[in-house]
Amino acid sequence: MMAKELFPEAQELRKGRIRIETTKDKVTEIVKKLKENGYEHFVMLSCVDWIKDGKFELVYHMWSYEYREHVMISIKVDRDGDSMVTLRDLFPQIETYEREIHEMFGVNFVGNPRLGEFILEGWPHMPPMRKDFDTEKFVNEIYYKIPEVKEE
Amino acid sequence: MKPIVKEYELFIGPNHPGATGNMSYHIWVEGDKVKKAETRVGYLHRGFEKLMEKRIWMQNVPLVCRICVPEPDVNEAAYSMAVEDLMGWEIPERAKYIRTIILEMARLSAHLLTVGGIAASLGIYTAAQWGVGDRDYLLDVFEQITGARVYHIYIWPGGVRWDVPKNTKELLTKVLDYLEKRMPLYEDLIIKNKVFIRRAADVGVIPKDKAIKWGVTGPNLRSAGYQLDFRKLEPYAAYDKIDFEVPYYPKLGEYEVLSEGSDIYTRTAIRMLEMQQSINIIRQALKDMPEGDVLLKHPQWFAWKVPAGYSYVRVESSKGEFGYFVVSDGGKKPVRVHVRGPSYTHGINVMETIAKGLNVADFAPTAISLDVCPPDIER
Repeated sequence: MMAKELFPEAQELRKGRIRIETTKDKVTEIVKKLKENGYEHFVMLSCVDWIKDGKFELVYHMWSYEYREHVMISIKVDRDGDSMVTLRDLFPQIETYEREIHEMFGVNFVGNPRLGEFILEGWPHMPPMRKDFDTEKFVNEIYYKIPEVKEE
Repeated sequence: MKPIVKEYELFIGPNHPGATGNMSYHIWVEGDKVKKAETRVGYLHRGFEKLMEKRIWMQNVPLVCRICVPEPDVNEAAYSMAVEDLMGWEIPERAKYIRTIILEMARLSAHLLTVGGIAASLGIYTAAQWGVGDRDYLLDVFEQITGARVYHIYIWPGGVRWDVPKNTKELLTKVLDYLEKRMPLYEDLIIKNKVFIRRAADVGVIPKDKAIKWGVTGPNLRSAGYQLDFRKLEPYAAYDKIDFEVPYYPKLGEYEVLSEGSDIYTRTAIRMLEMQQSINIIRQALKDMPEGDVLLKHPQWFAWKVPAGYSYVRVESSKGEFGYFVVSDGGKKPVRVHVRGPSYTHGINVMETIAKGLNVADFAPTAISLDVCPPDIER
């Protein structure tokens, strides 16, 4: 069954692009249902920082080779200290996307055993993909600070 | 005699010919069998996605091509298509054909590197030298058309930067004729070479029933037995007007079917066949290309405000599905650009899974045959 039939609330962005807005607790069920109904290619998991609303938007992208349709499942989680349950049992490749989002945005995925260092190494600062992480300021502070010459 | 050390760890890369670029594998080996593998990345992170949020839409075009070094044009095309999708632009017909030619030239040059790389990882170093050498003829044509050899910055939102030079057809036909003549030599050296077959067949297999589930795309998926190609499934540029075949296992044409599904041998064979198709596509596009404009007359770049919305656009690259997820809030800069590189799944999850049980000598060829390009893992 196509996504529109399964979820009547789904919104069609253009031909072959469907967007479903939902809540955190329903995602697992929706992804599972889509997987059983021909949406068998998990494309990726994205995170968008909506700093003004204080929310992160997690977008699960799925594609059906049969219907040639791409579904984006959007959920909002709080920017600070919120967590999401891992979906790595449904599609193994989600694990890597969760590792990256955990590191770059700071979203916790409960049940993912590999949430450790992925791309960054020994990073004590704020997750860098957050909108409030100011790259320019960071670079100026860390790399371009001229050390003071101390007279002895 | 009892072995002193039962299990040991090996670090392949980041400076190892068996690792495709700046990434490394950490493997645990018992005897000569790989027990476990972990992909280590982080040597190449340049923060492109973060930078893109700080720049206006047009400034990102010269940035995105740097995400995949061997095949930069797919990034330009996907990013431009995403902007066009949000803007609601339909690009001129001639620009679509030119994009097709550029993308296929990119595919050819990327496949030449990969096929040469796979062969070199099995000791056939000549093929790698040939691949790099022959790719240079394509880079010459790229230079004539775009002014640059590696990062072309030629495909723009709204079409292509300028029309191709008048002598493009002659230049390209000459190179294609040459490559066509070279193909049998590559076949003799690689695909029909007994040494290659003995090493490559039935090694590093991606099971057919797992391929889609693991998110495998591109030639790696087609060699597992699916005739799936986004140029056919969701045609972009001028692919819907061009007649071409999608090679897949077990339809390997004149090559022998030696093994079951996606192993090193089949993945190489599929890439060889795709090169022949690319030559055919470029010839057709050159023949059918209509006259006309190549760039939309759109407002000045600095004034662009892209309507708010979500867009996901995908392109079939030489490595698999290259996708761009672009979010706009109606402003002068993107809110988020997320790149889905094919190597993300191939290089991490798939490689870590199929590495188990490999002979340590087969590890590098397997990794290279998945055509992993680390820059698209860490953007």
